[in-house]
Amino acid sequence: MDKVSYDAVVVGAGLAGLMAAHEIASAGYRVAVLSKVFPTRSHSAAAEGGVAAYIPGNSDPNDSPEYMAYDTIKGGDFLVDQDAAELFSYKSGEIIDLLERWGVLFNRQPDGRIAIRYFGGQTYPRTRFVGDKTGMAMLHTVFEKTSGLGNVDFYFEWFAWELVRDESRVRGVVAFDMRNMTPVFFKAKAVVMAAGGMGMLYKHTTNSYIGTGDGYAMALRAGVSLKDPEFVQFHPTALYPSDNLISEAVRGEGAVLRNAKGERFMARYAPKKLDLAPRDIVSRAIVTEIKEGRGFPGGYVGLDLTHLGEEYIKERLPLAVEAAKNFAGVDATKEMIPVRPAQHYYMGGIDVDITGKNPDLIGLFAAGEVACVSLHGANRLGSNSLLETVVFGRETGKAVVEFLKGYTEPSSDIDKEAEKAVDSAYDVTKSESGIHFGEIHEKLRDVMWDYVGIFRDENGLKTALSEVIKLREEAKKVYVSDKSKVYNTEFYNVLELKNMLDLALVIASAALNRKESRGAHYRLDYPERDDQNWLKHTIAYLRGNSVEITYKPVKITKWKPEARVY
Amino acid sequence: MSLQPQEEEVVFRIKRYSPEKGSYWQEYKLKVDRYTQVVEALRRIKSEQDPTLAYRAACHMAVCGSCGMKINGEPRLACKTNILEMVKKYGSNVITIEPMDYFKPVKDLVVDLDDFYQRMYKVEPRLHTHKEVLEGKAEHRLKPEDQRELWKFGQCIWCGLCVSACPVVPIDSEFLGPAPHAKGYRFLADPRDTITEERLKILLDSAWRCTYCYMCYEVCPREIEPVTAIKKTRAYTKLAKEKTPVTMTGEKHIESIHNSLIEVGKLDEAKVYLGTYGLLGSIRDFIYLFQSGKVKYALVKERPVENISEIRKILTGESK
Amino acid sequence: MSYAYYPGCSAHGLSRDVDIATRKVFETLGLKLVEVTDWNCCGGGFYDEKDEAGHIALNLRNLSNVERMGLEKMITPCSVCLHSHRLAAYKYRENKDLKRKVEERTKGTSISYSGKADAEHIVWVLVRDVGVQKIKEKVKKPLTGLKVAAYYGCQMLRPEEVMGFEPAFNPHSLEDLIAATGATPISFPAAKSCCGFPLIGSNPKGSMKMAFNVLKSAKDNGADILVNPCSLCHLQLDSMQPKIKAEFNIDWTLPVLYIAQLLGLAFGFSADELGISNIAKQVLAQKGVI
Repeated sequence: MDKVSYDAVVVGAGLAGLMAAHEIASAGYRVAVLSKVFPTRSHSAAAEGGVAAYIPGNSDPNDSPEYMAYDTIKGGDFLVDQDAAELFSYKSGEIIDLLERWGVLFNRQPDGRIAIRYFGGQTYPRTRFVGDKTGMAMLHTVFEKTSGLGNVDFYFEWFAWELVRDESRVRGVVAFDMRNMTPVFFKAKAVVMAAGGMGMLYKHTTNSYIGTGDGYAMALRAGVSLKDPEFVQFHPTALYPSDNLISEAVRGEGAVLRNAKGERFMARYAPKKLDLAPRDIVSRAIVTEIKEGRGFPGGYVGLDLTHLGEEYIKERLPLAVEAAKNFAGVDATKEMIPVRPAQHYYMGGIDVDITGKNPDLIGLFAAGEVACVSLHGANRLGSNSLLETVVFGRETGKAVVEFLKGYTEPSSDIDKEAEKAVDSAYDVTKSESGIHFGEIHEKLRDVMWDYVGIFRDENGLKTALSEVIKLREEAKKVYVSDKSKVYNTEFYNVLELKNMLDLALVIASAALNRKESRGAHYRLDYPERDDQNWLKHTIAYLRGNSVEITYKPVKITKWKPEARVY
Repeated sequence: MSLQPQEEEVVFRIKRYSPEKGSYWQEYKLKVDRYTQVVEALRRIKSEQDPTLAYRAACHMAVCGSCGMKINGEPRLACKTNILEMVKKYGSNVITIEPMDYFKPVKDLVVDLDDFYQRMYKVEPRLHTHKEVLEGKAEHRLKPEDQRELWKFGQCIWCGLCVSACPVVPIDSEFLGPAPHAKGYRFLADPRDTITEERLKILLDSAWRCTYCYMCYEVCPREIEPVTAIKKTRAYTKLAKEKTPVTMTGEKHIESIHNSLIEVGKLDEAKVYLGTYGLLGSIRDFIYLFQSGKVKYALVKERPVENISEIRKILTGESK
Repeated sequence: MSYAYYPGCSAHGLSRDVDIATRKVFETLGLKLVEVTDWNCCGGGFYDEKDEAGHIALNLRNLSNVERMGLEKMITPCSVCLHSHRLAAYKYRENKDLKRKVEERTKGTSISYSGKADAEHIVWVLVRDVGVQKIKEKVKKPLTGLKVAAYYGCQMLRPEEVMGFEPAFNPHSLEDLIAATGATPISFPAAKSCCGFPLIGSNPKGSMKMAFNVLKSAKDNGADILVNPCSLCHLQLDSMQPKIKAEFNIDWTLPVLYIAQLLGLAFGFSADELGISNIAKQVLAQKGVI
């Protein structure tokens, strides 16, 4: 197997990965960025709403980084590490300013300064935006800037499969060139995991098809823990069947939800707030309606705008109209938009501190959605995830630079470990018969959606656990029917399935373990938040086929936990 | 919205390719409803019927640019294509899917986009602001109307459809292609950018090689109008210090048109010809026109616009 | 029935035969063409590269005059003039920043565009308003057995959201008209490709290559002749065919007719009455069409 050496290897070319790579390369180190897709295809591009920031001199006069931190902490149902929220808020202005100077085309106020608007959960408006394509605008600018640096090598359409480690340090990454299935051992002094989310574990997700949890699984298999893996965020209204997000702003402008009988069913679940009830209540309501047979065939309800009038709709909700037309073929001025809840974001992730450093494996860092600092605690606020990628991407990059400065080369030969990783991947290509990955994947998605979804209970979670274990066993029969080495997507789909099965086990176990409801984790059998017993982070390790769970305290600096009412 | 599931069976006729087998067609049958996109159908085919089918797709919301392909001959994003609408448009339940044109096929619907990426890199797609601005020591604000203009062209998702569909790209290696021009113009026109001269060296000659066929405008899934960016790039010609023969011909041509409009409000073809090619070039073409019997028309004098002062006013601001 | 008629500079210049044939066809169908009052050039498909706002103002001047004539439809035989006017009206409507700039230019002039008038192609009017049936009734000399390549070019089709008459990738207006004359319409790969005319202003070599590709594609697919819907495609493919033949060293000639010339032949007019070019006449005579 070929070997190449770099100072740092970044896995994932989304916003977090690129920011980290830029920071490390700007300090003079050689960086390899691995991505299974061309960088501009990364899921950062899908973020629409905007990026929150407090910019001194260009913010609401009542706002402050303190308020921003508080909103984030409260939004996370007090599971947020408050030092992370503070760093995040204080650095927000600086980083947005930097991106603006790099050329991100933020919308402007008449005087030429960056414009501001509200987003859900904010005390004062602080979201900056580029039309409805903020994520895409930021991603492209950061990619363009980073690709101009001479000491960053991009390896796109390379599938990173395994971290290579010795007793205490990470030594690199084994990845496959997707064009010809050639493995290469990327030796590195530091590895930054920035491989994004895991939506494809669920039957319905707003995530890209590439969100298969590769980063989490690689970390778990390398003996690294995930923090708060039970916390999965769902969004109440995703378009059927593409699961593209339909913003809550639509309901904010007067749209109402109706079941197959035409009823405004929210009256039964939130008699006062109706369609404007909090996300989790709306999600649970829709899922219940569908489960109890009052949804449309195919499993969705209707989002009705037709009573608002064509002019109003075209002026106030042009994006929802466009999305309905483009991705579901529906004229929203004349008929209801088909919607259903979907998985949206993953608060859990690789355990890191505010510098992005992981405590289990020296040299391993993580940033972006794949990491859990924990910035979002039990529930993420809108427009915070974009900011997280760039703030912590950069902070992690800085931490890597410091780490590299003090680095001493280890003496042990690690090539055998790397070979083992390649063998474990090639195993799946050896059979001539078996089952296709799709069969297991579809079953996994159903299990996770039904039992580890929007609402959970002991029986359901126990079922989920046993089903996942069964699927992990059945997956041994999965084989790759495509025997070509050229752009063999089936091979990578099988590796992705293995990653998903590793992560699913940890999520189900942690969800069963946490006997309270907090933020996005809702237990029908334990519906209240229990700060006395559960104001702590779950730390989970994958040990073969079982999950080991310990805990870590939540960092509380200024804000005492209080009831989360809006 | 109906209480009865309304699904139709659709046949997907897909052009596949592998270096071992070469090109071949394969058909898959799938039941879909009126809301389903092509990219969802491809995912279902891969997951339920044939795991070997290779294609690129990620975001399914037309923002990542992965799923460019030809659907019933139309260069489109698979995620922005509603299946039953296509069935209705073409009057057939067979949907033909092929990879994008021009780029080399790698496997099935996956094509080699390195050619595309090289074109994009060539236009130096990053902002070069003043050093003090980059270091945060000075501020350079952007006007809202400038942001709107730049963002129109800055939204390119690098899908490659326009380059694959452009008729000039395959016949002229000096032409960068539509998307690179949109990207290049976004920086050329940015008031904060400081390397205008270098950009013109890269963009200008190529901009004069576009044939204005509006194919890029038609296929672009983000409504960017690359052809408009190319036209706007040509407007920078007077700033360029070095001009290639193609640029100079183009410049003379548009000046001749302008002069003809100012003079008579219409195009005096003979005058425009002379202004563009000079006497020798024009004589050659007139010989060909003579052969086809059209020179007699050139001798007929067309009536100039009466209210010529109005034309002059809207074009130059002055009535003379 | 009267239509505001915009011939365009080329149909009154080197492609005058386009104007001649169009008038004969409309006369036969009993439709009156009233030339737009004091019409000016549309910009030739080029002017917006120099001055975007000025280009729109130029086109709005014609449309404003059409409105003053009490008419809403301005029909033209030239795809470029069609495209130029429709795109100008479209941008004026959709782009508020641009609209403001245009209004600065038109301030103090007679231009007052309400947005009602718009440009249409004579082909659209023939197919949609007159109808294939009425056209068939006027055919005196059916062109049975003649294989006619239906060449659309680019400007009358794209972009679909601005042109709006037929799908840009699946049009059939020309095939319908060809079939009405009794001839056999031929589809061919380059039917919707650009003829390359716009490139004559800067890269004549590239221009000729594109024209050659169109002619060759039609010839390779068995066409006897090619019809086009545009004064400028006509200039490029018919008038300039001797140049293409010289440049690419080809020994065959593919006669190129403007669509109204084909209809005119079917209506019983002679080749000379329709202004058909020398090179087309030669081959048409050989095939016994004239």
